[in-house]
Amino acid sequence: MDTLLTAEIVANSPQFRRKSSIFVDAIHDLPEKADLAPAQLHMSVALARYLRWLGVKTRIFHLGDYRRATIPFGEDMPDDYFFVNASASSVLLRQKIVRKCREDIYRFLSHENGQIAIYDAVNPLASGRRSLAKEFAKHDIETLFIESWCDDERIIEENVRRVKISSPDYVSWSPEDAVKHYLTRISSRIPQFQTMEEKDLNYIKMINAGERLIVNNCSFGYLSNRIVFYLLNLHIKSRRTYFVRAGVSKDAASYKSDSGLSEQGDDYARKMTESLLAHREVEKQDMIARGDASYELRPLKVWTSTRRRTVETAKYLYDKGYKVRQRSQMSQLNPGVCEKMSERRIRAEWPDEVAKHELDPYHHRYPRAESYHDLAVRLEPVILELEREQNDLLIIAHESVLRVLYGYLMACNAADIPFLEFPRDEIIEIIPESYQNEARRIHIPDLPEEIIPASPEDLKIPVPPSGFVSPIQGLGSPMDGAATPQSGFRTPSGLRTPREPERISQQHVEDVV
Amino acid sequence: MFATKFGLQSDDYKICVVMVGLPARGKSLIAGKAMRYLAWVGIPAKVFNVGSYRRNATPQPAATFFDPHNAEGERMRRAAVEAAMSDMLQWFNDGKGVVAILDATNSTKQRRQWIYESCREADIETLFVESICDDEELIMTNILEVKTTSPDYKGQDPELAALDFRNRIRNYELVYQTIDDDEKDYTYVKLINVGSTVIINQIKDYLSSRLVYYIQNLHIKPRSIWLSRHGESEFNLTGKIGGDSNISERGEAYARKLPELLRKSGVPPNTKIVIWTSTLRRTIQTARHLKAETGFEKLEWKALDELDSGVCDGLTYEEIAEKYPEDFAARDEDKYNYRYRGGESYRDVVIRLEPIIMELERSENVIIVTHQAVLRCIYSYFMNVPQEKSPWMEVPLHTLLKLTPRAYGTEEQRFKADIPAVSTWRGKGSSAKHQEFPAEGAECPPTAH
Repeated sequence: MDTLLTAEIVANSPQFRRKSSIFVDAIHDLPEKADLAPAQLHMSVALARYLRWLGVKTRIFHLGDYRRATIPFGEDMPDDYFFVNASASSVLLRQKIVRKCREDIYRFLSHENGQIAIYDAVNPLASGRRSLAKEFAKHDIETLFIESWCDDERIIEENVRRVKISSPDYVSWSPEDAVKHYLTRISSRIPQFQTMEEKDLNYIKMINAGERLIVNNCSFGYLSNRIVFYLLNLHIKSRRTYFVRAGVSKDAASYKSDSGLSEQGDDYARKMTESLLAHREVEKQDMIARGDASYELRPLKVWTSTRRRTVETAKYLYDKGYKVRQRSQMSQLNPGVCEKMSERRIRAEWPDEVAKHELDPYHHRYPRAESYHDLAVRLEPVILELEREQNDLLIIAHESVLRVLYGYLMACNAADIPFLEFPRDEIIEIIPESYQNEARRIHIPDLPEEIIPASPEDLKIPVPPSGFVSPIQGLGSPMDGAATPQSGFRTPSGLRTPREPERISQQHVEDVV
Repeated sequence: MFATKFGLQSDDYKICVVMVGLPARGKSLIAGKAMRYLAWVGIPAKVFNVGSYRRNATPQPAATFFDPHNAEGERMRRAAVEAAMSDMLQWFNDGKGVVAILDATNSTKQRRQWIYESCREADIETLFVESICDDEELIMTNILEVKTTSPDYKGQDPELAALDFRNRIRNYELVYQTIDDDEKDYTYVKLINVGSTVIINQIKDYLSSRLVYYIQNLHIKPRSIWLSRHGESEFNLTGKIGGDSNISERGEAYARKLPELLRKSGVPPNTKIVIWTSTLRRTIQTARHLKAETGFEKLEWKALDELDSGVCDGLTYEEIAEKYPEDFAARDEDKYNYRYRGGESYRDVVIRLEPIIMELERSENVIIVTHQAVLRCIYSYFMNVPQEKSPWMEVPLHTLLKLTPRAYGTEEQRFKADIPAVSTWRGKGSSAKHQEFPAEGAECPPTAH
């Protein structure tokens, strides 16, 4: 099912490392890129997030950002800048901007171990796309074009509405007027665009937000099938995902014993269920109070792992008639030889492994254990189903699993993922939006202090000293671009500023010049 | 407490996969593989082949039977598809089915609409899978290889059969309508020239997207897959299960012999083979010499690690029977679903191997050096071994298996290294003793196909 086998291949094989690929996402650098094509932008950002999370070194190069960087602020862009038959000076300016962008792509792929560059530009003409592919081929780079095409007025309007409502340009406008004004503005400026028909190029054409996909797969079977599968399951729906820990078990320190809930664990399961359902009821009443009298909550589904603790934590929800599904992929990180060991003992018995672990806590694997990267690969099918799911979803799992899933949804730096913390007295609620997901925390009251902190059955792996890292504090996720998701280093804790609620931007400033 | 019936999500929906395409476009191949794949991941699936219904009335029709102007032929073919549909709906009604595959040409819009509506009335989703091919060479290969062995032409002169078959195809071509914009509300996938272009339309559920992804990964280039367990390990010698021990001296001898054994099994000249191992020492050591001698690329997969036996890791079967007698008995009762305390079941292993299967379908020649349980699961996928049998299959140490996919099914060959090793196979309910490897020339155990 999905697999990010590709990621394993990439990670495993030096041969593939050179087989870098470029995706060019068509329809981008239109006049007001981010405003015009939210669905498309969402796609390239989501794809980058997915590939990075899988461990593929990916960077987006937005041509529009290069344009803005080249044309000084306050200075007007030539009127014909976006037109196919532009004046000589505009063409020269365009070429200069494009050259700068491509030089950066070559540097990223050839000298910075980059694996996938997402070149985000319009590329409206077939002839231009052909020469682009040829040009990249000269640099030993394979090219895959991704076009997002939309001729369904309803979808365009819906997309514009979603973004425009929050845009500062239209603060005092009514949504209808804003959408109308905006659509007239762009339609007068859209340059001539030839949709992709080139049988000699590799491309994926996504029509009307995934209603139809056309894959022209001349020689690019390697990643494109995976990307198609991902795109097939990608949809923007504002459904909720909740994360909670499993309750405490009778023999919490042992991985192998797979013990059931203790009395305290059972008490937690009951209180968690009450808090969650109460919270959902409040949300529903809120929506009704806001005028949506017929508002109904989406049905809630529950996923647990096959470990006894997580299954038993779902007990009260199951009794109330909620659908509970067990998934073996969601078992916690296997601690291997480190089971039941204290940090001191691990250091004494495995000093070499500890040294390696400290260098790269995300990828390092203790003997017979799993690394966080292994866990991510194992969880990939779950991620695809999560993207596809239309209902609200509660995930009950071990902290290590929550870290990886949360890391994906909130676009966390991979190096930060092993350190995310999920205290037991909080339900995490994730609300997807087009550019950034939002995470909120719902408090579970009246829990005994001792069951709140990190899992005792967690791998006691030495953590390099750093400040208190909690998901509340911006989570080591790129916030306004403060982090570099693909570097091996953790986000400096100084950059975490508390904010409420967490809104983690998926647009990374580091992707920009 | 909450039993999960299927390893993978199927939710409540039922899907009818409707094949579309002229004869000799690989429809039956896709249908057969998709069914095997679904059955392997635990989703009940069945192929309804309209041709075999038609054969009941007309076992060996001539091409004229398929002439659109032949009213009698038309009537009988219609009767065949109606019989297949009615059996299919009955199968769904009985409550066991999740995916049915209707294997026929379904070449007109009218026919497809009828299927779509019949399914909708029964609350069944439809997924049309059209295979289009205009590569003459590919079609001819298909005609010669597959169709001259078809029951329709059994015992006939192959030359004449091929000629008749081409005439039959012409008759279909007269009325064939490809899926186009009139049918844009249907869920469909259109494969053009074996996946060089793929159009995917209106996929609404996860299972369909998985099926499409699977079909997209299929290819028909000739290739083989070799499977081997690791050489005998130190744990094998003492009868312990699990662990991460080194290979024994005899295991090392097998590792040295593996390159020769592979050559002996028949490798076409200039064939590139990729070596896959698990991340455990015994498989890496076993592939060491092969890698060094051939220079083939090698990949290590966490997903190929042995079934995790949880609390029983490092114990012998005798010790398990003594320490956990109930578990030992429970495992014999339903070995496929039994999950070791804190470990995995065969079902869990299948789920974790699914990405490996996808990758294998996409790949060409691969030699996999892995462990007993994992090898059983991979083997079962290719050879269609039912779940209740696969965990009991005997796969001896120091033996190389070569699997070669053919149009109808997979061909299997076994090559013994003739290096003695303990036998780690334990029959259902048998004593838990390990035995010496049977003497040279002993028969391979029968395998289910």
